[in-house]
Amino acid sequence: MDSTSPDSDPELSAARAAEGVPAEPAAPSGSPATYFDGLSNRRQTVTIGFANQLVMRSADNFVSWPYADIRRVDGPSGTLRVSCLSASPLARLEIRDAAAAAELIARCSHIDENRLTRGGIARIVAWSLAAAASIVAIVLVVLPFAAERLTPLVPPAMERHLGEAAVVQIQALFGDKLCSEAAGQAAFAKLVTALRRPAGLDDSIASQVLDTPIPNAFALPGGRFFLFRGLLDKSNDPDEVAGVLAHELGHLKHRDNLRQLIHNGGSSFLIGLLFGDVTGAGAAVFASRAMIDASYSREAEEAADSFAIEVMRKLGRPTRPMGELMFRITGKQDGKLSLWSSHPLTEDRLARMRAADRPASGPPLLSAEEWKAMKGICK
Amino acid sequence: MNQMSYVPQQPPPLPPLAAVFSGARGEFFRLVSRGAAIELITLGFYRFWLATDIRRHLWVNTSVDGDAAEYTGRGKELLIGFLFAMAILVPIYLAYFLVTVEAERYQGFASVPLVIAFYAFGQFAIYRARRYRLTRTVWRGIRFWMDGSGWAYSGRAMLWTLLAVLTLGLAWPWRAAALERYKMRHSHYGDLSGDFEGRGWEFFKRAWYLWVIAPFAMLLFPLLPFVYAQFKAVEWRWWLSGIRFGGVRLESTLPGNAFYGLYWKVIGWWILLSIASGAYFGAVAFLMHSLLGLGSDELPQAQALSNNIPMLVLLGLGYVAWILALNVVMRLYLVRDMWATVLQSVQVHGVEAMANVAAKGDLASALGEGFADGLDVAGF
Repeated sequence: MDSTSPDSDPELSAARAAEGVPAEPAAPSGSPATYFDGLSNRRQTVTIGFANQLVMRSADNFVSWPYADIRRVDGPSGTLRVSCLSASPLARLEIRDAAAAAELIARCSHIDENRLTRGGIARIVAWSLAAAASIVAIVLVVLPFAAERLTPLVPPAMERHLGEAAVVQIQALFGDKLCSEAAGQAAFAKLVTALRRPAGLDDSIASQVLDTPIPNAFALPGGRFFLFRGLLDKSNDPDEVAGVLAHELGHLKHRDNLRQLIHNGGSSFLIGLLFGDVTGAGAAVFASRAMIDASYSREAEEAADSFAIEVMRKLGRPTRPMGELMFRITGKQDGKLSLWSSHPLTEDRLARMRAADRPASGPPLLSAEEWKAMKGICK
Repeated sequence: MNQMSYVPQQPPPLPPLAAVFSGARGEFFRLVSRGAAIELITLGFYRFWLATDIRRHLWVNTSVDGDAAEYTGRGKELLIGFLFAMAILVPIYLAYFLVTVEAERYQGFASVPLVIAFYAFGQFAIYRARRYRLTRTVWRGIRFWMDGSGWAYSGRAMLWTLLAVLTLGLAWPWRAAALERYKMRHSHYGDLSGDFEGRGWEFFKRAWYLWVIAPFAMLLFPLLPFVYAQFKAVEWRWWLSGIRFGGVRLESTLPGNAFYGLYWKVIGWWILLSIASGAYFGAVAFLMHSLLGLGSDELPQAQALSNNIPMLVLLGLGYVAWILALNVVMRLYLVRDMWATVLQSVQVHGVEAMANVAAKGDLASALGEGFADGLDVAGF
């Protein structure tokens, strides 16, 4: 049924006849309302009447809307504003008269069908919680698994590109601080080579000492690792440094950089989907991301420690000195493990190295002169 | 158009009309506080529906010549737009990552300019998001709509931003004028076409002294809200006074100090809320310390406390309450009150030109809004 009837009289009466509207509608004294036909923005003052359809008449127009098609839309307070599904989508009728509005609402069975009800909000809440739960599950379960499985699929050449990008940055930052004193370099190379064989890594491994006082060492994707002079300064014998280097080789062997990159990239993207524009929620997003990444990192550190223990045993060298060197650097980390730390507690690591310790059965890794030269590699 | 009205046969122009905002503050407060609570429960997913409800409230309570506007967008559209945008953004993020690696390998920090690509994408998103909102805006049964290209806009925005950066911000007014011209010339109300007559020079004349004061305000930071509020007021007034639709002309009389109160109220509430939550956090920590600390040795408690689950939960609840309150305050003052203040200042001239406008234009998708959400670029 055509709801918007034309203006001319003959068709008008035909429409009336078709709709069974009596020649004089039941509510001739109908209340005034404002009508917009959705085709032009001309404001039309109409008189509404309630027949078997809602009828709107003005001097030059006659329109009827079936009650079942009428929907409430947003209107200013004190005004009922409705649209009609079978009319032009933006056609609007505005009724200010409260009694007429109440009457229309009573006659339209589906008037509030488009409204967001409590049930609708409950559905949004339920779906959101389901979505959030699945994001959390993906971050905690699927992502570590995916990182584990995806890492071997990344070609080593690609991984090397990643490492080289970082190396370029490091050289830009520490360019003039590469230590290269000849005898020290030879001793360092000897130590790395000795560790490389039992670790099962080929000679694509490259390593350098950087002249900074920070006691640390780190590995880059694609087989590069760096030792800081600060760590050499704090060490007392070659086994201490060897343990730390073996730990870094463990990271290289397990391709931990790449795994963490995949894992942390995925987790920060997924957690970033939550909250969006909630002001102040950034801290929560940041904290949860830091906690998840730290826990993943602790697992990788433990695995690298296991690897270091294994390598040192194959060489017949003690594992305890490595733990002691780390303990000397960090000191006692009192109390329980923090949820935020990226490494296990040094006490626990030392205890583990002590438990795994065997008396030396293999030859020393460096002679006294070589050790002395290596300590002076940055001179 | 103006010369036309001096032709004798023409009837004299109708007096200007004021725009009216009639929204009840209590209603908006209930809307945003309920919305903020649901938004937190849903970990932010309700944002699409809340943004929609806020716009619906603002639009429907805004009337010109006795007829209120209507916002016909829906939360579901925003959600779908967001999901589509994510499907497009994820591969882009991955590609960006790979290109970054290659660039860094070639030259350290060579990838920094790639961030610019995201800025360009953000500008595209701003344009498309505006288009979505405009096509959901209905007045007197006719919708507003927009054509033009998001990328063409983005290109212009990039060049103008570059110029603004090179001139230390002095070119900003001309940037704003050029970009508004592009946006407004591609905006339409039915068959009335929009235009923008604001000139960069006028904006500059009204705002240049703020540019001079700004560095001092950085040092004397209580001045900063005044400078920013003044700038926003000048910008709004200049922008509104430049808007044209056919023969319809907007004019704003927004005073420069219009927003001082709003910004200071937000700052005051922010300080108050921070003090309250600080006191709450302190009380929780003290309570836990005295409950746990009695039997324990002299070790520093910080570490043990930071792993105490009940305390973390209590602190988390306090944090949630703080976020809730902060979001309500921001939306109440910086969205609703600002909207009402700005609208009060608007007068519409040449209303006879909008007496009989024919419908035209199609709906635009919410994809742009999704990008804007995914890229964290502004838009209410």
